[in-house]
Amino acid sequence: MNLERVVFGFFIVLALTLNFVFVMGEIDNYQHHNVWILTIAILVNLIATGLKLGDRTQVGALLLAASLVADLLLISARVVWIIADSDTASGPSPEAMVSIVSIAGGALVANIVSTAILIGDTLMSRR
Amino acid sequence: MASTSELDRVSMVVLRYMRKPFFALVLVYAVGIIGMALIPGRDADGNAEYMSLFHAFYFFTYTATTTGFGEIPGAFTDEQRLWAILCLYMGVIAWLYAIGSTIRLLQNPHFLQAVNEHRFARTVRHISEPFFIICGFGDTGSLLARGLSDHYLGAVIVDSDPERIKALALRDYRVKMPGLCADASVPKHLVDAGVKHPCCEAVVILNNDEDINLKIAVMAKFLNPSVRVICRSTSGRHQDHLSALGGVTNINPFEIFAQLLSMAITDPQLHNLNSWLVRAHGFELGNPLQVPGGDWILCGYGRMGRWFHKYMVDQGINSVIIDPDAEEKDESEHVIHGYAGSETLKEAGIENVAGIIAGTDHDSDNLSILMSARRLNPDVFVIVRQNNHENQLAFDAARADLTLQSSLTTARRILKFLISPLIQTLIDYLRDQEPAQTEQLIHRLKTAVGEQTPHLWRVNLCENETGAATEYLGKGKTLRLGDILKDPRNRSDLLSCVPLMLQRDNDSMMLPPDMEHVRAGDEILFCGTEQSESLLLATLNNPYTLHYVVTGTDVPRAYFFSWLTRMFNKTKSSAAPA
Repeated sequence: MNLERVVFGFFIVLALTLNFVFVMGEIDNYQHHNVWILTIAILVNLIATGLKLGDRTQVGALLLAASLVADLLLISARVVWIIADSDTASGPSPEAMVSIVSIAGGALVANIVSTAILIGDTLMSRR
Repeated sequence: MASTSELDRVSMVVLRYMRKPFFALVLVYAVGIIGMALIPGRDADGNAEYMSLFHAFYFFTYTATTTGFGEIPGAFTDEQRLWAILCLYMGVIAWLYAIGSTIRLLQNPHFLQAVNEHRFARTVRHISEPFFIICGFGDTGSLLARGLSDHYLGAVIVDSDPERIKALALRDYRVKMPGLCADASVPKHLVDAGVKHPCCEAVVILNNDEDINLKIAVMAKFLNPSVRVICRSTSGRHQDHLSALGGVTNINPFEIFAQLLSMAITDPQLHNLNSWLVRAHGFELGNPLQVPGGDWILCGYGRMGRWFHKYMVDQGINSVIIDPDAEEKDESEHVIHGYAGSETLKEAGIENVAGIIAGTDHDSDNLSILMSARRLNPDVFVIVRQNNHENQLAFDAARADLTLQSSLTTARRILKFLISPLIQTLIDYLRDQEPAQTEQLIHRLKTAVGEQTPHLWRVNLCENETGAATEYLGKGKTLRLGDILKDPRNRSDLLSCVPLMLQRDNDSMMLPPDMEHVRAGDEILFCGTEQSESLLLATLNNPYTLHYVVTGTDVPRAYFFSWLTRMFNKTKSSAAPA
């Protein structure tokens, strides 16, 4: 066991699960999606990206790329939330909510790819 | 350039065959269309109306090809119908004539040959992997092609016998092997086969006619002086010519065969190792033949027999020769004239000899010698020469102590030369060493590879092939051969492979020890399992895995953890003195 792999795996899996927690629920109902979760997911994703910097292997490059995609999409979702939320008192409209959740859904796919690569790489090295 | 002349020939044949039918069609169409356009029709009101030229062409097209859409645009007059009948018969006959000529053209042997050559040349031009040219697809050629295909290497085959090329089409090779039925000594065909192609690795010439072989070798060398040529030749005259060319490897099947046979008798361990490395059927590593010492009987004293005898004399083995045509040159040679039967075998002392070699060039004779020898002396060691590949089943059933097939030994030797020329150097080296060294190597290979098929590969420590290792060495660190052989999954285990040879600056070191430091630019020949090759390459290409197998610790991968480790070490070292 190696501390780096533990921390690394922790943040990647946490990013995936938080992303999933945010996406869960009816797509157009803002009460089913918590903006705090989204913000924390962005934070965890950014940390995971930072941990991936510097790996010189091919697998490392792919992991970094997937992580960057997830960051980009989650931040976009947060920006859309801010824009949609600013003119209404009761939270984003169902139309805005649909775009926010589907963009976060895209980030979820990138996080799944990241986790799959991590698991695959770990299994390949077989130790 | 060659392809243009090929196309010219095709177009010439096409023109010659298609000129007349083409003119016939044009003439019939012209007459029919003009006639149809000139004959007046009648419209619904009874006025004269002429068909336009386009309509006439349309009408004639569907009539001549027997499609028959009817009377378009309006109903015809009787004059028009009369002309339509004429048009129909003329058109159909002209078409039949044209189609018949086309079919005759497609069956024309010159046309077919030209098209085949063109297609073959195009296939060869588009090859992007290294390939070999095999001239002569006989027993040896087809065994060689099979061996190349087993190693996923392509070949281009040229043989003048159409039956052999047909046989080639029925083989299930793992890679594409284009074949051409042509005389390879014609330079144009050699160029078509890719002798000037940048991916052409070597030309292997295996025809039975040695004059033709010599001609092909000369042509190939002239067309591409840098190409390797491997040529079958048994006579001294041809060998002199070939060696004068430079860069031509001579393959004498008789000599190779005799070499292998003498190896089997005098050094069974090495023979066992060699057979295992070339993946010969039915050989188990570390289980060599139990060849008894003593005198031998040699049946058959032709071209091959002479080579056997030469090698046996070199090795100090006494032998009695049985052959109907053998001449007694020397007093010391014991020669019995006659066919090998019970009488002659008894005369040669079959009861007391260690072994017998049935080496005539007739398979049935060899098998009958085997049976008589077994009857007279059940314990005698029998080596049988198999000439024809088709008799395999009979030889399998005969259960000789050792069956050697000339075409197979030749094909294996060429294959070995083409794939890993270093292996033969190793075998030659081991032959001059103490047998204990061979035994040691066999033991090591057996531990590493075990029952699996041996796989040979070369690793070149250069930037492209082994990025991480070259980078590691470039930092001034040392890397021992034993380090990279550790299993990246668990470094206390070793990979199932054995380094056989290390080449550095044109020097080769046989069986390099684990303590040897490798350097950038080294070439190492390994023998092991296919899995160990991919694991070894993974180690040499991944800086983290390489660090792990060398030191046993995992180096932090990303910047953050490297920084953290540095900080941690700094605090520890600053804390330690206090």
